[in-house]
Amino acid sequence: MSPAMAVVLKDLRLAWRDRAGWASAGAFATIAVLTYSFAFDLATGDVRPLLPGVLWTTFLFAGIFAGGQSFARESEEGTFDALLLSPVAPTVIYLGKAIANVIAMLVIEFAQLLLATILFDTNLVSVELLVIVFIGTVGAVSLTTLLATMSATMRGRAMLLPVMALPLLVPLLIGAVRATGASLNLEAGTAPWTLLLTVFALWSAMLSVLLFPMAVER
Amino acid sequence: MEHLMQLEFLFAGFAVFWAGIFVYLLLLQGQLRALQREVDRLEERLAEAETAAAPRPTPRP
Amino acid sequence: MNSISGALRTVYGWWWLVLPPVSGVAVMAMIIGALVVAPREIVEGEVQRLLYIHFPSILAAYGAFAVVAVASVVVLWRRDMRWDAVARGAATVGVLFTGLTLATGALWGKPVWGTYWTWDARLTSTLVLFLIYAAYLLARAMADELDEAAARFAAVFAILGALDIPLVMFSVTWWRTLHPQPIVLRPGGNPAMPPEMLLVLLIAFLGIGALAVWLTVLRSEAEWLAKRTAALRAVADRYEGA
Repeated sequence: MSPAMAVVLKDLRLAWRDRAGWASAGAFATIAVLTYSFAFDLATGDVRPLLPGVLWTTFLFAGIFAGGQSFARESEEGTFDALLLSPVAPTVIYLGKAIANVIAMLVIEFAQLLLATILFDTNLVSVELLVIVFIGTVGAVSLTTLLATMSATMRGRAMLLPVMALPLLVPLLIGAVRATGASLNLEAGTAPWTLLLTVFALWSAMLSVLLFPMAVER
Repeated sequence: MEHLMQLEFLFAGFAVFWAGIFVYLLLLQGQLRALQREVDRLEERLAEAETAAAPRPTPRP
Repeated sequence: MNSISGALRTVYGWWWLVLPPVSGVAVMAMIIGALVVAPREIVEGEVQRLLYIHFPSILAAYGAFAVVAVASVVVLWRRDMRWDAVARGAATVGVLFTGLTLATGALWGKPVWGTYWTWDARLTSTLVLFLIYAAYLLARAMADELDEAAARFAAVFAILGALDIPLVMFSVTWWRTLHPQPIVLRPGGNPAMPPEMLLVLLIAFLGIGALAVWLTVLRSEAEWLAKRTAALRAVADRYEGA
């Protein structure tokens, strides 16, 4: 088995062992969607146009909180430093974590799509939408994983992470909300939103892979 | 009337700008002064420790 | 390396002779020029005189953020913490001037557009810029002065932020130009600007530019001093603890 595969499997195992943490991220996302649905229903009769915004703000916040947690255990136990000293390339270490985080987030997001399908009475489980969610998740999680790794030992990181990540994710948020709106036949303009989303995902994935080794060099 | 309104906004804009710069400079000056003082104090502390330690070198634990 | 830092120190000495008087005189000339010499703009009236602080401010902010990006690359590449001090100093000044741009813009927008704030493409991208670098400063302030890992983290974040700016501009433009706003943006790009206005604007560029450079130098010096202090304190504690 190649070391890269071994690291990815290790991270997936870790994510599974930490399933309580991921479950709480999923619970957070569920509560967020329910609260939005409830609060907006009080204010306006037609909540459907708000759906893309509800989904993506939930996904981003859940991803940031969960991503911030995902490195906490490793930095506490010191296994992260051990991994950095091992002959495995830093890029592989990063990719392992990012892939595990993307998979865990996709599970959470799929559950939210099902929930919102019921709550908002709109079919959200379509191939087009799943592709959009996948691309958006890759873009967001690759960036938040990088930031989470680097800030793992910092104090106040739980508050800091959203403050740092969200401004950088503005293009992704615009592209994702608009692309989701377009796929739901909501008014979203005619710009190639999925292309913007893809460009952002490639941008963040490539930059994170390039910058991670420099950030963790000891 | 409208003319007067505009002057108010012009004045407010300039006031905000210069107030911002001024407050920034004041904060910076305070910070620089405090830092310089601390550097001086620390350098003194080091010099004192060196002269005190020079005659009889402390045995290494 | 030594000759470079020696040259830097010489230039630095010169800055102290040149920057304060230049920015002082140019800023005075700018105030007089903006309020007295420049003609009143016909459409927007007196409030258009805010142009002479608003526009140079955002250019100064862009310059400062460019310095942050370059200094951050050097931090990662050379591991020289002096450049971390430069990056922090420039980021502080950039955030200050972006904030002043947003504030003067809001005060200009109210009488001309009828609103302090609108989610226009340019306003939004400027706000995002402000937020990115405010987050940078916050992250840097949370960490210890001498924490090199935190300095590298901040450098990576600054590089991410700088490379994010084109994407932000692009996305907000797509987002907004497809929904034309009833508001007409200020005709600042009008090439037929009277020569007096242009002259005052050039003086304003000089004054606010020199002011921004000077503030950056001061702030970077403060950061560098803070680092030296922290290092000295560590040495002193070790000395007295032994």
